[in-house]
Amino acid sequence: MARELSTGAAINEAIAIAMRSDPDVILMGEDVAGGGDRSKEGTEEMGGVLGTTRGLVGEFGMNRVRDTPIAEMGLIGTAVGAAATGLRPIAELMFMDFLGTSLDPLLNQAAKLRYMFGGKVKVPLTVRTVCGAGMQAAAQHSQSLYWMTTGIPGLKTVIPSSPADAKGLLLASIRDDDPVIFCEAKGILNQTGEVPEGDYEIPLGQANVVREGSDVSLVGFGATVGIAMKAAKALDGAGTSAEVLDLRSLSPLDEEAILATLEKTGRMVIIDESTPRCSIARDVAALCVDRGFDFLNAPVKCVTAPHTPVPFSSVLERAFLPSAQNVLDAVGEMG
Amino acid sequence: MATPISMPKLGMTMEEGTVVRWEFDVGAHVEKGDVVLVIESEKNEADIEAAASGTFRHVYIEEGDTVPCGTLLGAITESPDEAFDASAFQAAEDHPETQAGGSLEVRTPTRQTPPSPAERQTKPIAPAARAAAKKLGLDPTQIRGTGPGGRVTKQDVEAHASAREALTPVANGVALEVVAGGSGETVLLLPGLGTDVSAFARQTPVLLERFRLLGVNPRGVGHSDGPEEAAYPVEQTASDAAATYEGAAHVIGASLGAAAALELALRFPDRVKSLTLITPFVESNPRLLAVAEAWQRLAAEATGETLAAALLPWFFSPGFLADTSVRARTLRGLAQTLARVPAPTLSRMVAGLAAWSGTRTQDLSRVAVPTLVISAGDDLLTPGAGTLATEIPGASHVEVAGAGHAVALEAPEAVNGAILKHLS
Repeated sequence: MARELSTGAAINEAIAIAMRSDPDVILMGEDVAGGGDRSKEGTEEMGGVLGTTRGLVGEFGMNRVRDTPIAEMGLIGTAVGAAATGLRPIAELMFMDFLGTSLDPLLNQAAKLRYMFGGKVKVPLTVRTVCGAGMQAAAQHSQSLYWMTTGIPGLKTVIPSSPADAKGLLLASIRDDDPVIFCEAKGILNQTGEVPEGDYEIPLGQANVVREGSDVSLVGFGATVGIAMKAAKALDGAGTSAEVLDLRSLSPLDEEAILATLEKTGRMVIIDESTPRCSIARDVAALCVDRGFDFLNAPVKCVTAPHTPVPFSSVLERAFLPSAQNVLDAVGEMG
Repeated sequence: MATPISMPKLGMTMEEGTVVRWEFDVGAHVEKGDVVLVIESEKNEADIEAAASGTFRHVYIEEGDTVPCGTLLGAITESPDEAFDASAFQAAEDHPETQAGGSLEVRTPTRQTPPSPAERQTKPIAPAARAAAKKLGLDPTQIRGTGPGGRVTKQDVEAHASAREALTPVANGVALEVVAGGSGETVLLLPGLGTDVSAFARQTPVLLERFRLLGVNPRGVGHSDGPEEAAYPVEQTASDAAATYEGAAHVIGASLGAAAALELALRFPDRVKSLTLITPFVESNPRLLAVAEAWQRLAAEATGETLAAALLPWFFSPGFLADTSVRARTLRGLAQTLARVPAPTLSRMVAGLAAWSGTRTQDLSRVAVPTLVISAGDDLLTPGAGTLATEIPGASHVEVAGAGHAVALEAPEAVNGAILKHLS
């Protein structure tokens, strides 16, 4: 049976299922249990800054749902150590923008331990983090930095596009023996959709054809899959059949699925919420030119944010984010 | 089993080392960890230990010799009497380092030939179209592109390939697009320089009522094969056309198509029932050649619309162009017609025209089939067309007053009336 849940509720459900099925799974982060207000400690009033983990402390207690100081280096460093020594932690990094203060444990420890110890150490860590713009959270709380973690060998980077995918991908991420950066795009956190009940996993590293089409491929991930779907419907009205591919995992990347849809349609637009330089969009475009050259019937187009900080003004923030109209313009330009 | 002793790389900057002293004689027993060798590099001596226990079996590099890192120096075998092939072991284990860690290998690009000048001149070809054309054995430069800026797309290649299946073979390996329709006596339509059979669009409805029409797109035009040749001679266009039908036909040609029609009548008089020459010529003139040169350049560099706009005043009379809506409609139609002739084809046709010019001036009196010459009163490109009627025995002549070179498009009533009268 499936019911309508928000992405946030689907993530909460996935964490609960993982914690019930494996006593080594713990949740840690800023305010995930009760926060610094001792009067609220152990109550269900907090659940992280966006309330995603609300209620978990009630079922699993303060020992397994742990508040940490507002010090990301300590939070992530502790989580990496816990993972390397036998637990299976889920660490909540409130906003992906805080990657800066927590990078060394990820970049130089989590990503390298299994490799440098010849496979004798594993780091089954999941870092859940909120990314993307659209909530007027301004330049320091709105960035999409998944391109940074994707560029680090040894880390996996996953980004769901719907409530049902969020649940299945998070369960697979928690149970993966390597460190996974699980990105929760602001654009989909409040989005609702049908979510199957029970325990299920969606394998990491496999893209998903969300919509079949024959004339142009729209490639998205996270919140941009919705943008692609909106553009695809508009293109349908104009007699252009668009295929929509959801990458689901940025690392590992499902290169074969990308090349398969390019071979089918000969045209591709990649939609990426992040800034364009060194982005996932351009990485996929480079793949198309390198391995898919003979499939290209038109230039590959990247629809991304501009190379600027994320603006606070809601008008500017809307202009900053990729839109379905941007996608339609790109399709028009490529001919 | 043997274990190698090789020149180690003791630091990032070490490139070579000298064998100072072997500590054992060949045949001696060594234990793993025994110092078997002293080497020297960069003024430092270093002890090299045996990596396995066994018999010190073979020396490859003698004391005093200096060799690159990775060079096989000696060998240890597990037992003194096991089989050991010194040269085979060396072939497998000798890995002397070269500068920068290895030699550079230049791979020859898989493309066999550089793009021809014509290929570079033509409109863009999508990689997918190039790949599809290669698979189908087609030349993508010969295919009309429908993408932005005339880009040849994969769909264009596929459309061309399926159209090609219906082509009519005319010569060794060359097949032409022949647009056929109607029934009755055969009428052959031969279009002029840089155009296809759509140049006869205003004649075909009338002729289809009474005749079997065969519109022949010459080499390189429309979907017809366009082999890479320096020129498409008029004589070849004529013999190609003759191969598209059996028996005899009424042959109608316009401008360069009229030249091919004339050539057809002179070479194969039995195959031609009647000849209709629309704005024909037997000798080119400087203005025609100058327009042809501009045409070639624009075809290679400009869009189809720009080319059509530049040619419009040469093809049509001022009276016709005075009506702006007619002018706009004619421009669009002309652009579509011209788009079916790629730039390399146009150059080859012009070369054929120039070579043919003047070769048949003395032969007009030999034309032995009933001939109609249609000239145009305001023809800038072939102003002397009417004189052919006086040279060809028994030819009739109709001049359409005030019309331009493209008289068949500009004044279809007058042209159609003259043709129908001539064919009956």
